[in-house]
Amino acid sequence: MTPLAAAATESSYDVIIVGSGAAGGMAAFSLTKSGLRCLMLEAGRDYDPQAEVNMFAPESDAPLRGASTPDKPFGYFDATVGGGWQIDGEPYTMREGSDFRWYRPRMLGGRTNHWGRHVPRWGAYDFKPFSRDGLGVDWPIGYDDVAPFYDRVERMIGVNGGRLDLENHPDSPAGCLMPPPRPRVPEMLIKATAESLGIPVRSAHTAVLTRDMPDPVAPRKACFNATPCTRGCTIGAMFQTTTSFLPMAKATGRLTTITDAMVSRVTMATPGKAAGVEYVDRKTGQRHQVKARAVVLAAGTGETTRLLLNSGERGRGLANASGELGRNLTDSTGASFRAYVPALAGRPRYNEDGIGGQHIYIPFWLYGQQKRGELDFARGYHFEIGGRFGVPPAEVLPRAWGAALKTAVRNTSGSTIALTLRGEMIPNKDTFCEIDPVTKDRFGIPVLRFSFRWSQNEINQVAHGRRTAHAVFKRMNATILDPDLPPEQIMTAGGEIIHELGTARMGADPRSSVVDGYGRAWEVDNLVLMDGAVFASGAHKNPTLTILALALRASERLAKRIKTGAFA
Amino acid sequence: MTLSRRTTMQWMMTAALLPLARWSPADATPAGSGTAVAFDRVADWPSVPPAAPAKGYGRDPNLMEPKVPWPLTFSSGQRGVVDMLGDMILPADAVSPGAGALGVGAFIDEWISAPYPIQQADRQKILAGLGWLDAQASVLHGKPFAAITVQQRAAMLDVLSSAAPKASMTAPVAFMDTLRKLFVLGFYSLPEGKADMGYIGDTPSEGPYPGPSPEALAHFAKLIGAMGLTYAPV
Repeated sequence: MTPLAAAATESSYDVIIVGSGAAGGMAAFSLTKSGLRCLMLEAGRDYDPQAEVNMFAPESDAPLRGASTPDKPFGYFDATVGGGWQIDGEPYTMREGSDFRWYRPRMLGGRTNHWGRHVPRWGAYDFKPFSRDGLGVDWPIGYDDVAPFYDRVERMIGVNGGRLDLENHPDSPAGCLMPPPRPRVPEMLIKATAESLGIPVRSAHTAVLTRDMPDPVAPRKACFNATPCTRGCTIGAMFQTTTSFLPMAKATGRLTTITDAMVSRVTMATPGKAAGVEYVDRKTGQRHQVKARAVVLAAGTGETTRLLLNSGERGRGLANASGELGRNLTDSTGASFRAYVPALAGRPRYNEDGIGGQHIYIPFWLYGQQKRGELDFARGYHFEIGGRFGVPPAEVLPRAWGAALKTAVRNTSGSTIALTLRGEMIPNKDTFCEIDPVTKDRFGIPVLRFSFRWSQNEINQVAHGRRTAHAVFKRMNATILDPDLPPEQIMTAGGEIIHELGTARMGADPRSSVVDGYGRAWEVDNLVLMDGAVFASGAHKNPTLTILALALRASERLAKRIKTGAFA
Repeated sequence: MTLSRRTTMQWMMTAALLPLARWSPADATPAGSGTAVAFDRVADWPSVPPAAPAKGYGRDPNLMEPKVPWPLTFSSGQRGVVDMLGDMILPADAVSPGAGALGVGAFIDEWISAPYPIQQADRQKILAGLGWLDAQASVLHGKPFAAITVQQRAAMLDVLSSAAPKASMTAPVAFMDTLRKLFVLGFYSLPEGKADMGYIGDTPSEGPYPGPSPEALAHFAKLIGAMGLTYAPV
């Protein structure tokens, strides 16, 4: 890492970027390419996938066969290091009665080192939800504003997928997508069954290369159809900033990165202008101040919000005249439905690794019924599809021993399928984050306190999803493995899907939003937010592609303003 | 423990029990099912002293050189009984070796010794269960489990695998469920176990993913035909 002395040099940077994940990585790439000198501050440690990803070791090499533990929640070989659902010495708190999970890696590249890779485009309805159903708010921008950036981001990060041809599911122009992989047999069965019930199934859009992506600095190879993506990908087939944007930005000579730099607050030059940031060196506990012409916050929805709440006016935070900072928090709904399919028992073996995750999925298809008032929930959900050869889950094995058990394992391997629901949550007044009045982390920085509640809308949506999934399972004569519990008891906890969004939302009116349509704080001209905090609504579609598109759009706007002397 | 965590545990427990009560897969009738003779007398469920504190591998272990940092638990006698049970639960046959002979007992020792909540809960069940096996063998035959005959051990496993156990057998059957779960995980995650399942994968290949084999596609066409479904390519 570059010595701190270099970082401390007055005004040697055009832009400070807080965070190195999807948004921070995109900002560093775009801003350095446009000629600006950037300082990236990452709270986690340095991380090099080439040296640290154990791609090929079998799970049997890992403690506990690689099983999930509180230390490594997604398994021993999972890419996430230094953090997870908890970080030693860096707690968060919850209001009584709330249950919220906050996933925080502490590593260069942030959550792009381990992520779902499912990158659907958002559609026109998703940017104007209030206009459609009167709930929440509209975004100040629409699909047409974002579409050109979706086109570019899909080509930049490498996305495979096919045509959708469905309401509110925009197709990509020619040349944006790589060819999708062929579906596996359990996916084909779900497709045949779902379509017989009028439910569409399509190739998923996935941020995994199916063709090589040459680059002089960070060449990336097509997926070789093996090894779990969540360990990280040394051939660069899966998009992560540590194998793409960060080395590319570094090669410009205009990016300086400091890791283990926990930013504690934004410092101010004048009331309407940021001077830079203060950070704590996580290794030494030393505080440092760095300055730049502009500051980009891309620390992740929660950390960006915490940092603003801990800056500016005590008890109110920075850029919070609207009072919306910390409010409007959403996560995706989550629920998983599983079944044993006797027809798949003992089926012929072949390699089902493919590109790692799902190859096809079920997009939301009920906009018409919803418009006619036939559904008891607003907004949509989708199903991600699972089912492969492997060790059968305990639930499908008989309480047997001996030859009968061995026979049962052989027979049931590859005969369990899953439909995993992800749905949109509508912001509610009981779901927000704020600064805990008492608790501080080990650096003395006040921590976030979460309040979280699903509304009846989300509960009804999950109940509908379960009826749908079970109808699909029944049509294929499958045995449903899900317990008969009320929908609120089968839903994931808030934050558990790791799609937290909305706590510094963008808007057209400074009285009801924190940032404008380009992520610029209404009250601080040279402060730009680029992560999920700026989302004005959640959508059921996974957020990362939209985070990347908005970060690219905001970065180009910022570069243009700097070059035209806006912050001279 | 938060309310939701409790709910999740309840969910998992319910999920584990429900299907067994409702169905069992074809061609996998439990050994001795219907013929197991319930015990007249069931030995008391022994208590297990808490584990000595140990450290986990932490949030940032060396992924290139995986290590198990915690000390193991089994005595040589306990390990011997676990290996014996492994060769009964997943016995050697023409396709693969027995789980005991393959050394899966070492994995079970590693598992129950780990200082994490799920593993600590399993530790209670496994250590108490091993103690109970000896106590119950003594009640039935006046000898510890390892010293009774092969037929006597088989009869005990039949009762422990009962689809609808008596209330007095709840804890012993839960012990056997846990042991079976651990042997299945430990055995089928080894190369020998994967080969037994006919697993094909973990092999990098050039070019696009080829998809299902012709044989798998033929099988699929037949099965959807039988269901009255049709498949339209993506």
